[in-house]
Amino acid sequence: MNLRFKRLISQFFFFFLTNLGLKIENVFPGIKTGFCYPFFYCHACPSASAACPLRAIEIGVYDGKWNWRLILYPILLISFVGVISGRAVCGWACPIGLIQRVTGKVAKKLKKKYSLVGKIGQLRIEPYLRYLKYFIFIGLVIITPIFIGFMFTDLCPIGYLVGTIPISILNPGSFSPNEFFFIAMGVFILFIILIFLVERGWCRYFCPIGAMLAPFNKISMYKVSVNKDECIHCNICSNEACPMGIDVPNMDRDPECILCGKCVEACPKKIISFERV
Amino acid sequence: MNKIFITGIIVVSLITIGIGDMIIEHDTWDLIHGTIVSTLCLSCIKLDPVSRLEFVFETGTGEEHPEFVLENLTTGIIFIEYRSDVCKACDDMAPIIKEIFNLKFEKEDTLYKRVDYLDTIVNFYHINLDHATQIQKDSFSIYDKDQVGGVPMFVVITVKYDRGIIKPCYTNAYGTLGKETDAERKEMVEGLIEDGLTLYEQNSEGYQYP
Repeated sequence: MNLRFKRLISQFFFFFLTNLGLKIENVFPGIKTGFCYPFFYCHACPSASAACPLRAIEIGVYDGKWNWRLILYPILLISFVGVISGRAVCGWACPIGLIQRVTGKVAKKLKKKYSLVGKIGQLRIEPYLRYLKYFIFIGLVIITPIFIGFMFTDLCPIGYLVGTIPISILNPGSFSPNEFFFIAMGVFILFIILIFLVERGWCRYFCPIGAMLAPFNKISMYKVSVNKDECIHCNICSNEACPMGIDVPNMDRDPECILCGKCVEACPKKIISFERV
Repeated sequence: MNKIFITGIIVVSLITIGIGDMIIEHDTWDLIHGTIVSTLCLSCIKLDPVSRLEFVFETGTGEEHPEFVLENLTTGIIFIEYRSDVCKACDDMAPIIKEIFNLKFEKEDTLYKRVDYLDTIVNFYHINLDHATQIQKDSFSIYDKDQVGGVPMFVVITVKYDRGIIKPCYTNAYGTLGKETDAERKEMVEGLIEDGLTLYEQNSEGYQYP
């Protein structure tokens, strides 16, 4: 079984676990737990089985009333996953990653067909855009709930995708748009455009959970390693395989690596491999 | 063995102990389940529930009305404000409710007061779901007519004629009531209370505490 297929099975398996909260009348009661997802998913989804870690942190810091249980619990859960496998959950478990797996194929085609799309990923400021997710995490998830209110969840495009849309469809006429609805719709449209133009665009630039997990790539027990001595610098791994746009031959525990293994499969010399430290 | 591996093992062990302690000793599982997973996050869905303001007999769960409601209905209508600790719409609505009933309380308080409103009695309950008793918490889903699960939820319970019997009936409204200004919100809450009072005046003589 090749890596791509194993990853697909893993993503579907986690998608299934993520949505175990789905209640089916007289068939399945739906499982709602007190767990926090270690990846990006919204508990407002009617089928969600656990909580969004970002919401837990937001509530924990809200109005300057520090509820340490709500802050530490998701951080510890994410740290646990991060220390073991770094950002592998982004590549192997996150349902939003699964969606971007599909849109990424379109992004790749567009990149080949239109040079302008290809240039987005090669902009000089592109590496700096990757820091946006850290600002979003600190600014919108931690600071604004203390002083202003829930800016992140009010605008979150994933909440719109898996919460707003299914709830509106399942309960026609039961809800009306609130003051953030149309702004969030704009953000959601931008999110959709982004993931169709840039492969893993959400993970690269905006995902706050990715920002939480990224530093753990430096100390995680699993990593992708390259035998630099034998590298022929064909750059297939970087230019054609890596969905995160990493300079794979020169990387060493890159915080952006989601351990998807695409470079491992693509390397013609088979000198890229998963390694347990 | 590699330094990173040993550090990793130590960190994972410490985190495991930390998570275990939070779940077993500090009820964090229940806190996350109750505060986040089981409550519909209106901020996350960017929607407000549409309040249908007709008074109905059938409770949200099909269960009987709680004892504290049935008992107090003999003296006047019941007004319940449900909220949670962290809820922007609850914070927006709290001053309006306090002004209407001329009451002072903190958001963490669970309060019952018999209030004089337009020369009639209103039994006022302020129930913070994060601090309430189990009976009060259970009453939330009983009066969540549309099973929305969102807070704040305002409930007016009164009595009404139903095929020969005077029975408790109720209506509820959610969030900021779909109104833009505080004045409109206040007017809507007052309208709800007055509707409840009208029904009570018309039917209360026939109501018997079971």
